[in-house]
Formats: sequence, C-alpha cells, structure tokens
Amino acid sequence: MTDLKERRTKVEVKNLTKCYDDLLVLDDVSFEVKEGEFLCIVGPTGCGKTTFLNTLAKFIPATKGDIYVDGVPSNPMIHNLSFVFQEPSCIPWKTVEENIRLGLEIKKIPEQEIKTRVEKVINLVGLQNYRHYYPRQLSSSMEQRVVIARSFVMNPDLLLMDEPYGQLDVKLRYYLEDELIRLWKELNSTVLFVTHNIEEAVYLAERIIVLTPKPAKIKAEVIVDLPRPRDFTAPEFVKIREQVTELIRWW
Amino acid sequence: MIAIKRSNQFYNFVSIAGVLLLWQLVVSAGLFGKLVPSPVAVFKEFIDMLQNPIGGRSLFMHLWFSIKRVLTAFITAVVTGVPLGLFMGWNKKVDAIVKPVFELLKPIPPIAWIPLAILWFGIGETPKVFICFVGSFVPCVVNSYTGMRYVDPLLIDMTKTFGATRRQQFIDVGLPASLTAVFAGLQNALSLGWMCVLAAELVGAREGVGYIITLGMDTANPAMIIVGMLIIGAVGAAIAVIVRRIERIVCPWKRGITS
Repeated sequence: MTDLKERRTKVEVKNLTKCYDDLLVLDDVSFEVKEGEFLCIVGPTGCGKTTFLNTLAKFIPATKGDIYVDGVPSNPMIHNLSFVFQEPSCIPWKTVEENIRLGLEIKKIPEQEIKTRVEKVINLVGLQNYRHYYPRQLSSSMEQRVVIARSFVMNPDLLLMDEPYGQLDVKLRYYLEDELIRLWKELNSTVLFVTHNIEEAVYLAERIIVLTPKPAKIKAEVIVDLPRPRDFTAPEFVKIREQVTELIRWW
Repeated sequence: MIAIKRSNQFYNFVSIAGVLLLWQLVVSAGLFGKLVPSPVAVFKEFIDMLQNPIGGRSLFMHLWFSIKRVLTAFITAVVTGVPLGLFMGWNKKVDAIVKPVFELLKPIPPIAWIPLAILWFGIGETPKVFICFVGSFVPCVVNSYTGMRYVDPLLIDMTKTFGATRRQQFIDVGLPASLTAVFAGLQNALSLGWMCVLAAELVGAREGVGYIITLGMDTANPAMIIVGMLIIGAVGAAIAVIVRRIERIVCPWKRGITS
C-alpha cells in the first residue's frame, strides 16, 4: 500500500461542530481521510465519539461545518457512507444474503452486478454456506460478519464503524479484527473506525486521531507505520500504545 | 419431540375430560337444579340441532351468517385499520391529526354503538357488521400503531446510510418490523369481532349463533344456549389457528419462536 501522503484526499471534514442547546459536544473538528486509509478515532469515554460519527453519517444534523466526499458535500443519495453500528444491526426478517444485498437494492444497482458483488463478499467473509440462514440462526460473530459484508459490498466511499467489536469477547474480537484488515486490503476501502480501545486502534489503524474530553476537539494525530500482521508485544507496538494512552489521559 | 407432543396431547385430553367430568359431577349432585344441563344433555341437544332446523334454518346456516358478519367486519377493519395504524406510527403529522379523535373513540365499548347503529342502519345486516367492525377496528389500529412506533431506529438509520428514501425505509424496515404486532392485533380483532357479533345478534336477529342463544333463553333451553356458546368458542379458536398459520407463512423468520 502506498504512503499516506502520496494518496489523494477522499473525505474532508471541515469545521464540524455540534451543540445540544447550550452543550457543546463537537468543537470545530477538521481533518482529512485519504483514499483507502484506515483511520481510527480514539478518545476518553463520553467525549462524544458516537455523536461525532452520527453527525458524520448525517443521522443528526451538524450545528456547523460539513463533510465532503471527493470535494462534494456528502449526500447519502449519491455517496456511499456505510455504517457499522456497535449493536447488532442485521435485519431479522432477511436472510444472510438478503441482508447483504439490501444496500445495493436500495441503490437500485442492476441485478447482475448485485449478484456478482454479493457473491464476492459472501465468499470473502466465509458465509457462502449460510446465505439462506436468518440472523437468529447465526452466532454473534457471524452476525457481525454479515453486517461488515453488507457494508463492504457497497464499495463505500467511507465506511464508518462505531466500536463494532465493543460487545464481543477478546478472542472473537481478535479474529474479526484480522478479518476486517483482510477485507479492507482486498477491497481497498476507506475506513473510519471509532473505538475506546487503544490496543485495537494501534492494531488496526494507519493513523489515529485522538480526541479531547467533551467538547471533543482533535488533540493529536499519530501515524502507525507498523508492518502487518502486527504483534501486540512488539516494542514499537507497545511504544505507540503508550504514546496514545498518554495523549488520551485527561485525569 | 414425539414424546413431548404425545405428552401435550395427553394433557390437553386430560384437561378437557376433567372439565367435563367436573361439570357432570356438579349436575349429578343437583347443585343448580335444572338450570345447568349435563354434558350429555348438551351433546344430545347439539345432535338434535344438527338434524332439525332452528327458526327455519339449519345450524350450519346460522353459523355461516355469524361467520359472514364477523369476517366481513374483520376484513373491512384490517383493510382500513392496519394502514391507518401503520401510517399513524410512521408519520408524525398523520399521528397528530388522527390520534386525538381515535383516543376519544377508543375507550367506547362497541356495544355502546348498538343504539346508534340501529338508528343509522335499521335492523338488517349492516348494523350487525358495523358493531363487529367497531370491535375489530380498534385493535387493528392500536397494534399496527404500536408495532410501527417500536421499530428499531438503528435499522432505519442503517437504511438511511444507503440513501433509502422514506418509502424504501417504510417498505424495507417499518412494515416488516411491525408485522408481529399487527398479527397480534389481528388475533385480538377476531376475538373482539366474535364478542361483538354475539351482542349484535342478541338484538333483533333472525339468524346467527347469537339468535340461537337468544332462542335458547326465550324457550328456557339452557342446553341450546351452551351449544351456541361452545360453537362460538370452537369457531373462534379455529379462526385464531388459521391466523397463526398465516403469520407463520408471512413471518417465516419467527418460526423458531412461534413453533
């Protein structure tokens, strides 16, 4: 993968500000995401990470500022901003395959292309033998893989992930993190991953943005230039983890 | 599984046999004099009603009249009430317009509409169907409304990220997510429809199961009354089973829970 500096800017967040009445939650946040970048956002608990993502995804309106995709203000009708939620978000009445197809059907992609894209992604996440299963028939890791497949199949301009592995046990999280990296590399997607888990951020990211306590502002950016697969115990890994931990410390 | 099924059927049989036995014992003990007929007397009355016309019509014709009234009212209530409830739950403006009127009318018992129904529609079929409709309409609206209001907002947000229009959000998420509550409402609507048909037929009907019950009262024949009541119970239960089967076909993802 090419150096971050050499890649073109895919997404620009400019002066993003969010207030709830008098409560300032996001304070003039601006940054860029490069094409095909894996960017992690970390910050102390309650700093407004989820509000930040919800504002980016336009679930809630920003008080000021906007997000630009390829230089154009982002619009879900023309851009692909896929979102992976913290909670399981498979549609219970749709099978695995129908869940993965959903976004493409909404976008009215031609049927032949839907079939090709779904087939590719369903094989990548290893769910080809479960395509006709309903979510209730799957384990939680499989369900989360369906959600991730549903997002990647869109070839998203920006994939927003809100602590998607926060509710899973460590072993499962490691497994899904590796799978996420594999998909990201394979499909060359641009990912913005929010987490409160510093180790997870260092393991996944090419770059980490550290937010301040509320109101959230950008405190620092940390480049994670480590080879993959990354080793949690490697001295370079530990060093970056401690550096981010120190940045996040607010007490 | 077979052992469990057999065991359940056995308990069902024991339950019904127990009630019949208790009933027979109470009658044999003479606790209620002639006011409560024995199960055997009720069965004999049932056979007699099958063989001889009641008020000039066969038992099946009476049953058909009642079913026709309930189903006509039920289908009308479903066609009007379910979309209304869904749109009230989906659209805040529709909710703001309809809800105050609906909240005012909702607590009025369907039976309270009988005098007005007779004044408006006379004593033909229409008032009877109207009363059943009023009974069935309310649960159709309430459950569809509740089902839509409790749609997981996460799923709606998820479709929004794909650029779904409001119509797509409704069809892909809102409607299917509400179906479980809608079907629960249909079950209630049927039960209330049956309650109301009886009340409607008690007033000036010449046919129907309600008429059989009234005739039983007028001729001091408690066995006939009980046959009428049991027919209502049996048909109501049969229709409820049919609705549950339809639900299993329409909502196959729930099969693990409902079966």
